[in-house]
Amino acid sequence: MGAPEIKRRTRRAGLLIGLGLLVQLLTFIWVHPLAFITFLAVGCPLVAAGVLLYLYALAVHEQRHGDR
Amino acid sequence: MISPLTLGILFTVMSMLLVVVVALRTELANAPGGRALIFVAFFAFPVIASWGGASEHLERSKQTAFCLSCHVMRDFGRSLYVDDKSYIPAAHFQNHRIPPQEACYTCHTDYTMYGGLRSKMRGLRHIYVEYFGSVPEPKNIKLYQAYDNNVCLHCHLGARSFEEHERHRKTSEMMGGIKSNKISCMTSNCHDIVHDVDTLKDASFWKGGS
Repeated sequence: MGAPEIKRRTRRAGLLIGLGLLVQLLTFIWVHPLAFITFLAVGCPLVAAGVLLYLYALAVHEQRHGDR
Repeated sequence: MISPLTLGILFTVMSMLLVVVVALRTELANAPGGRALIFVAFFAFPVIASWGGASEHLERSKQTAFCLSCHVMRDFGRSLYVDDKSYIPAAHFQNHRIPPQEACYTCHTDYTMYGGLRSKMRGLRHIYVEYFGSVPEPKNIKLYQAYDNNVCLHCHLGARSFEEHERHRKTSEMMGGIKSNKISCMTSNCHDIVHDVDTLKDASFWKGGS
């Protein structure tokens, strides 16, 4: 994986994490069970997906560099 | 003083901005300390923000306002304001024998974290029924199992007013029966007026405390 590939994945990861954090932030407006569910079922998975994508990009990048 | 919620919100906003900046300027990775910055922005901060957010939501879910935010619970909330001390929840709520901000949670958990996984699953089911199922009339809502005396005894056990009360010692076995949960506090013609939401239309209400 070259530099553009890791940049692309990092951007995607950033988008997912940013979106997830935004959803989490919005749920603080309401004291309601649906806000809690939205936090757990939408916000957290988006952040988790972004973090995992970033770690995956990092791991693949490091592996390619190690192979050289 | 800044509240923990404000701090949490500020931290989440900061994490979000950092993620956006780093995502847009990936060349930062080549700068000294750039990799560490990306790790903080893409891993450490989001994980800490999510953990803090989940903790805040768990705390909020203990609030009386949280429980009463579902329409079906409105009458149960009103029953806390009945101007009649024979209504057990009302007497406890109005006299601050339980924290008014966490009234439902205080009496409807078994003093484990939300009464265990089963309680959490029930909570999810309640939300499903509220939005997608057929919601029963408030007067038809019953507990899944008999109310556990241990919830009452969590506070009353050892209290003089409880231990020495003549009604609790009417027979020699009575106190033992109450403490071992064999005689229910709620269904022994003693403290049997609880929320009784079907009687609210004739009740008068306390105006204070809100």
